[in-house]
Amino acid sequence: MEDIFVKLYEMTAFSNIIADPSFLAMYAIAFVLLYLGIKKHYEPLLLVPIAFGVLLANFPGGEMGVIQADSNGMVEVNGVMKNIWEMSLPEIAHDLGIMNFLYYMLIKTGFLPPVIFMGVGALTDFGPMLRNLRLSIFGAAAQMGIFTVLLVAILMGFTPQEAASLGIIGGADGPTAIFTTIKLAPHLLGPIAIAAYSYMALVPVIIPLVVKLLCTKKELMINMKEQEKLYPSKTEIKNLRVLKIVFPIAVTTVVAIFVPTAVSLVGMLMFGNLIKEIGSDTSRLFDAASNSIMNAATIFLGLCVGATMTSEAFLNWTTIGIVIGGFLAFALSISSGIFMVKIFNLFSKKKINPLIGATGLSAVPMASRVANDIATKYDPKNHVLNYCMSSNISGVIGSAVAAGVLISFLQ
Amino acid sequence: MENLSLGLMLMAVGMITVFVILLIVINLSKLLIAIVNKVAPEEVVVKKAATAPAAPTVIDPATMAAIKGAVNIVTSGKGKVIKVEKI
Repeated sequence: MEDIFVKLYEMTAFSNIIADPSFLAMYAIAFVLLYLGIKKHYEPLLLVPIAFGVLLANFPGGEMGVIQADSNGMVEVNGVMKNIWEMSLPEIAHDLGIMNFLYYMLIKTGFLPPVIFMGVGALTDFGPMLRNLRLSIFGAAAQMGIFTVLLVAILMGFTPQEAASLGIIGGADGPTAIFTTIKLAPHLLGPIAIAAYSYMALVPVIIPLVVKLLCTKKELMINMKEQEKLYPSKTEIKNLRVLKIVFPIAVTTVVAIFVPTAVSLVGMLMFGNLIKEIGSDTSRLFDAASNSIMNAATIFLGLCVGATMTSEAFLNWTTIGIVIGGFLAFALSISSGIFMVKIFNLFSKKKINPLIGATGLSAVPMASRVANDIATKYDPKNHVLNYCMSSNISGVIGSAVAAGVLISFLQ
Repeated sequence: MENLSLGLMLMAVGMITVFVILLIVINLSKLLIAIVNKVAPEEVVVKKAATAPAAPTVIDPATMAAIKGAVNIVTSGKGKVIKVEKI
């Protein structure tokens, strides 16, 4: 009789949870993330699947946690070391469970982030960037946070690959951060994805904080429309529709030639945008890219990323370093954009509101909306949304290029 | 020390590449604007012949309910639809 109870006890997850209470910490993290996603509406489309993935991965015996292969691709399967890349997909599903099947098929191959980029492209309007081309350069300045944190992380003892994956959080672009981490430091995928999406959700808090520290009231009151009237732009667009169709083709070609490693991201972003801009002829493709495909990709990406956060992979000092480093990368990216505008204003008659520099990181369009709210707080007539969107959208290209550089040097 | 110099090199190469690529994108866009302005100038919008003044727009109840529902979700119940007009 006692044997039956012992076996029943061992059959449930209780025995493992009591033997290793760190599982409880992971449940707490999952519940907090679910709360933030559901109740606080912080990036719910991604935080909810990620949080649920965390929950699923940490039920002992459930076989839903992702097992990371070492740098040689070796994993332990039932006590035997096997090379994951020599295992067939059905074998992975059978021996390691369905979540590892999804992870090694969709994430580790780098398939999903470009697919999500295609959806992002289909939802992006490059019009504001094309109308304010001069402001796009601030999307480059805001990438400074990525490389500064890379340096800091190396000093802290991270390997260059881990440091690059940590720094890319400063690009404020979830798919780019995930794509870079998969290529360079897949064992850090869980905490880096969580940090990237959490800070993206906290854009309405982080941007005002940095702006308040670095900008004066006078600078924030610079009215872009008045500046435009005083010093009108020489470039006039006569046919925006045609320009928007040609633009993604031309940008893909240029990026493909200069930074081939960034093509999977930029190319898919531009393809998504192209099928949007062509209009009714490709409306079905646009609909698929921006709805069904993007939604399915988001679900699998979120669940798999969450499932990488097993207690042994997440509860360590590296995660704390990532959380702090990620915030630093984010804040530095915003600051760099602001400083570049300030330097620009020293030499130019046509002044630019520093908020346009602050939105050079690629959290589109939330960063621009937040910047617009700050501007209208100081002057209700000063709407900077369209101008901010210019640096904001070019920031997406900038962070993808930065990721391409890191991957090509460190992979 | 070796990793630090690698980090510094990546910082220099990375930032220069990002600036160069965005400068190329900006100048390429300017070139495209010039070409498109020359080759495919403004689309001529043919105005329809004057017709009888349009009747006041009537929004069907299903559309109105959908608009109200969307506003309700976006504003968390604080917003109110007063008037819907076709522009």
